[in-house]
Amino acid sequence: MPDFSPTQYAVPFFVIAILVEMIWSRYQSREAYEPQDTLVSLAFGLGSTVAGALFGGLSVAVVIAAYQYRIFDFGEQWWLVWWAWPLAFVLDDLKYYWVHRAGHRIRWMWAAHVNHHSSQHYNLSTALRQTWTGSFTFGLLFALPLVLLGFHPVMIGIVGGFNLIYQFWIHTEAIDRMPRWFEAVMNTPSHHRVHHATNPRYLDRNYAGVFIVWDKMFGTFEPERDDEVIRYGIIKQLGSFNLLWSVFHEWIGMLSDIWRSPWKHKLSYLLREPGWTHDGSRETSDTIRTRWLERTGKADDQSATPVANQNPIAPPQEAA
Amino acid sequence: MELHPMILQFGGSLVAILVLAGLALALKLGGKPTLKSEADMIRAAAEVEDGFKIARSSITRSGASALARDPAGRIMVIKRHGNKFAGRILTSRASAREEVDGLVVNPDEAMFGTVRLSLTDAPYWADAINKL
Repeated sequence: MPDFSPTQYAVPFFVIAILVEMIWSRYQSREAYEPQDTLVSLAFGLGSTVAGALFGGLSVAVVIAAYQYRIFDFGEQWWLVWWAWPLAFVLDDLKYYWVHRAGHRIRWMWAAHVNHHSSQHYNLSTALRQTWTGSFTFGLLFALPLVLLGFHPVMIGIVGGFNLIYQFWIHTEAIDRMPRWFEAVMNTPSHHRVHHATNPRYLDRNYAGVFIVWDKMFGTFEPERDDEVIRYGIIKQLGSFNLLWSVFHEWIGMLSDIWRSPWKHKLSYLLREPGWTHDGSRETSDTIRTRWLERTGKADDQSATPVANQNPIAPPQEAA
Repeated sequence: MELHPMILQFGGSLVAILVLAGLALALKLGGKPTLKSEADMIRAAAEVEDGFKIARSSITRSGASALARDPAGRIMVIKRHGNKFAGRILTSRASAREEVDGLVVNPDEAMFGTVRLSLTDAPYWADAINKL
């Protein structure tokens, strides 16, 4: 059985790439990085590996138990079934789309995923803002169909690692657009900038991991526009560089809401979309978008300069 | 003594993190943006609430923070956070007190903290915030 963790091997690459982007921003745009923000992002990354080591055991036990009930069997030497690898990669990416979508539409899941969006910056260090609390959600359930289909948990872990590595490089404003054919199929910096935006038109869009085609298939795709400066982060920006607050703020908020709400609404605070309240006192991404549409009434203007071109890091020409 | 590989990995990563963060400082990345104009205010207010209409606003002398009021009487406090801006729409739990050099606004959110503003019209804002 292969004993291989692609993300561990990728760590030096992550460090070097951040270093390069930092040096680049030193000469092109110092605003692209903020030392305190960067420190929090990197600490998030380190903490997530510790949290995974501490709390990931239960998840491993569940998927190994589920594997005993698999429908198809790739044999004892399942890792030698070459075609299973690309198939697992694609299906795992489909799984990622849905678990990610749930991460934005179900507050319980959002409590763990909000970490990744908590920076007002968008650079390679932002990619390392990984969750510490994913083991305390039901995200694991999304992987069970793959396990039951017969994909070994180790295979799923490895392709999932490559998926995560792919997503690293798309967290940058330094690249404007990739070639058209690539933008059509793959997740890119442009598509993922949209995902990290708080602009109403971009909220809850582009959930893809590697293949943007899932968003196009399931109606959540939104292209980056050339006439709108992107604001990154979350609707209620934290305004704090406290690492622990960044990690746990949504858990605290959610549990506090559940504690204080009437009994008949408690479950809704767990399972409904972020921002939902039983008295309508807060806004969800849907209500924000609706209010924005009512206010502007024109969602289709297209002009001015691409977002990346508004960022001094990015050269005016298209990325290679 | 032999260290467990995971502890070694953690230690190595921690060193890399501190080096990178230190490098960001050494390279003087970040900066301190200031609010100088109405356009700056509109941009900063949009960061707090998309579409917030500014009926009246006051920017501190340093340009690091500001207060804004919309036609409905809602008041927003904005502060510099790193090299971005963050803010809050104030509720009835918020309070403001005048000090010798300006105004201290407490949005009643511990982790967001209080915001100190050096304003010429501090009494107006103190009164308005305490009446929310």
